[in-house]
Amino acid sequence: MQDEHAAIDQRGHRMKQAEPIEWTGYLFVAFFAVPFLLFNVGPILFGLFVSLTEWNIIGSPDWVGAANYLQALSDPWIHQAFTNVLIYGLLIVPGVVVLGLGAALFVNAGYPLTGIARTLFFAPHVVSATVIGLVWVWLLDTRYGLINVYLGRVGVDPIPWLTSAEWVIFGVSIASVWWDMGLAFVLFLAALQDVPKDLLEAAEMDGANRIKRFWFVTLPLIRPALSMVVTLQLIATLRIFSQVYVMTNGGPAGASASPIHYIYNVAIERYLFGYASAIGVLLFILILVVTLLHRTVLRETV
Amino acid sequence: MTVKSKSGKSAGPSSNGAGTRQIDRRRFLGGAASAAGVAGLTAATGTFPMPALAQNSIELVTWSWLTASDGEVWAQMIQNFNDAHKNKGVQIRSEVVTGSQYMTKVLAAAASGKAPDFGWCQTGRRLQQINDGVVVPLDEVSMQVGLDWGDFNDFAVSKTRYPQHGDSKWCVPMDLMSMQPEINLDHVVDSGLDPESAPKDGDELIEWAKAMTRSDSSGITRSGIMMTGSDIHPSVTWGIVSAQMGFERASADLKTACVNEEAGIRAMEWVIDLFDKHKVSTREVTDRYKGFGTGQGSIFWTGPWTLNGYIQQGLNFKTALFPKVGEKQVTWFDMGGLEMYVQSDTSRYEQTMAAMKWLSDNSLLWVTKGRGGTPRKSIAADPRYISDAHPPQYRQAFIDGLEFATIADVPVTTSPEFAIYAGGGFLQKTLDGAWTGIKTPEQVMAELKAHWQANLDKG
Repeated sequence: MQDEHAAIDQRGHRMKQAEPIEWTGYLFVAFFAVPFLLFNVGPILFGLFVSLTEWNIIGSPDWVGAANYLQALSDPWIHQAFTNVLIYGLLIVPGVVVLGLGAALFVNAGYPLTGIARTLFFAPHVVSATVIGLVWVWLLDTRYGLINVYLGRVGVDPIPWLTSAEWVIFGVSIASVWWDMGLAFVLFLAALQDVPKDLLEAAEMDGANRIKRFWFVTLPLIRPALSMVVTLQLIATLRIFSQVYVMTNGGPAGASASPIHYIYNVAIERYLFGYASAIGVLLFILILVVTLLHRTVLRETV
Repeated sequence: MTVKSKSGKSAGPSSNGAGTRQIDRRRFLGGAASAAGVAGLTAATGTFPMPALAQNSIELVTWSWLTASDGEVWAQMIQNFNDAHKNKGVQIRSEVVTGSQYMTKVLAAAASGKAPDFGWCQTGRRLQQINDGVVVPLDEVSMQVGLDWGDFNDFAVSKTRYPQHGDSKWCVPMDLMSMQPEINLDHVVDSGLDPESAPKDGDELIEWAKAMTRSDSSGITRSGIMMTGSDIHPSVTWGIVSAQMGFERASADLKTACVNEEAGIRAMEWVIDLFDKHKVSTREVTDRYKGFGTGQGSIFWTGPWTLNGYIQQGLNFKTALFPKVGEKQVTWFDMGGLEMYVQSDTSRYEQTMAAMKWLSDNSLLWVTKGRGGTPRKSIAADPRYISDAHPPQYRQAFIDGLEFATIADVPVTTSPEFAIYAGGGFLQKTLDGAWTGIKTPEQVMAELKAHWQANLDKG
């Protein structure tokens, strides 16, 4: 009784029993938390700060307030890079989703040679972006590239995939779809393998043909995977850099440049780290908005 | 705390023999701290802690971006230095850094107090880094080690200076480079042209280019003049031709941008005509070096860094002087050199400078097998400067052409914005608008003027 009274302070609140702190638990968490704070959260906050300054690594950053953001809003190269990346999104995301899903459906159907097909569909994803870029520069060469050679056999004139401002965004997108499709394929295949067979059989017995079974049974059941693929691909596409850097260096005339490529150009080649950080923050906002919009439209939580 | 081994058996001498391994908290924390210490040191230095080279000896670090055949010669230069200083307490460790990231990495390294001791400079592009104190002046320290500046030709010495910093010298010149046309001799012969001759002016250049161009129904299959459709090559071509026509990116006093705009616009039209009017170039080439090496082009203006590669592959070509397309015959110039970076331990400067002096004094290998012409009078007078080098058919134009190679970088803090020979820069992206037909030459010139004037106003 006395102990109980002692545990009640003067304000009438029950005091917490003093428990020993389990520091070992904090230590285990620290192995993740400390690097995360140091190398993720720290740089993000530092980037936000740098975006409000003029800084070239050497010396102290000079505070300029919102000047970098105002400059970014009137910079025509930024307008072009952000427009380009939205076009990339419109081309690459549907391309990856449709082809990845198609490949997964093919493998899931269990046709002959699907074992090899499974490897082939996923293989590009494990190859580095640099290799992908270099290979596709040759494949998309206007005169000697295999793509144009085969198109020529069906009467299509050579297409300047990487050398014309009108076509270059398609050229880079083709390479990107081929590269990114592997991950989408694996995610869709895993989702398809989780679709209960009895539901498909019931639908078949009810007279649903293959298309209806896909549309009314399979697709709703793989919707979480679909949502995840679209989200991941959208974010990856908005951050596109390696293919652009290797295949076109953003040209011609900035027609294939992306925001990350422009950030690289501004920071690494022109030493304008404050301005580059401001563009990075703008890109972060764009990714956030687009992702939230997409999540709202699909109304899906994964 | 108890960590059970995977097999369930005891693991190591600290095991208690009961299938589990006892690690008390203190030992665990101690181990973790050690691991964190090593990781931290590794992150800070980029390497695992290594024993020092030897007591009382010094290891100098140099960075370069040289990765082509000239990189092999540079590696040999460093090896020669190390062999010559085996027991003299100084060695050089050479590291390669991507060209486009070179200066940013130097800045980052300098900011963390770990800049390389010396590295390669881009003449005329270091004003900002000089102002920031990253690049160190060489006047005093070069006198201490006895570098003979009188042995360098005056033009090279003038290019080590910046007008904003008086007479101070900021690099040791290693090579002088000019841009000249290389001509495929097989194409010359099969076009009925004289292989002993070369185009001297703009008209002859177009005449030769037309004779050597090959086309079929799908377009140009062999460019008379090797060009890419965008970026660096049309940019440097415009830079040379516009200067020949009287255009200046910045006035001599660095106050006014775009002197003689009409000449700049005419030069843009000249480049566009190569594609669209004369049809001697195609925009479909993506790799100009490979293109010329594989016979997709007949005339290709480039620098001496290409010689080793093309000679080794057996390409039948020669080099000529850049034709006089405009009123005066000028071409692109660059000087390779060594610059010294700021150190917290300033006692390293003297040994660094001594190493740079040795490399300069022994640069015969570099200017015969590496690239460019020599800025050293003593080396130019050495008979081996001719006998050890590539035959004159390949090399002489690059040397003789130095006489009129005057188009250098604009020495302002934002010099990369003015660079005619750079990939993906402001100038290249802006000019691309003209090459691709998105903008008129007049519009492009207006954009260049506005941007460059703003940069000149910054100083």
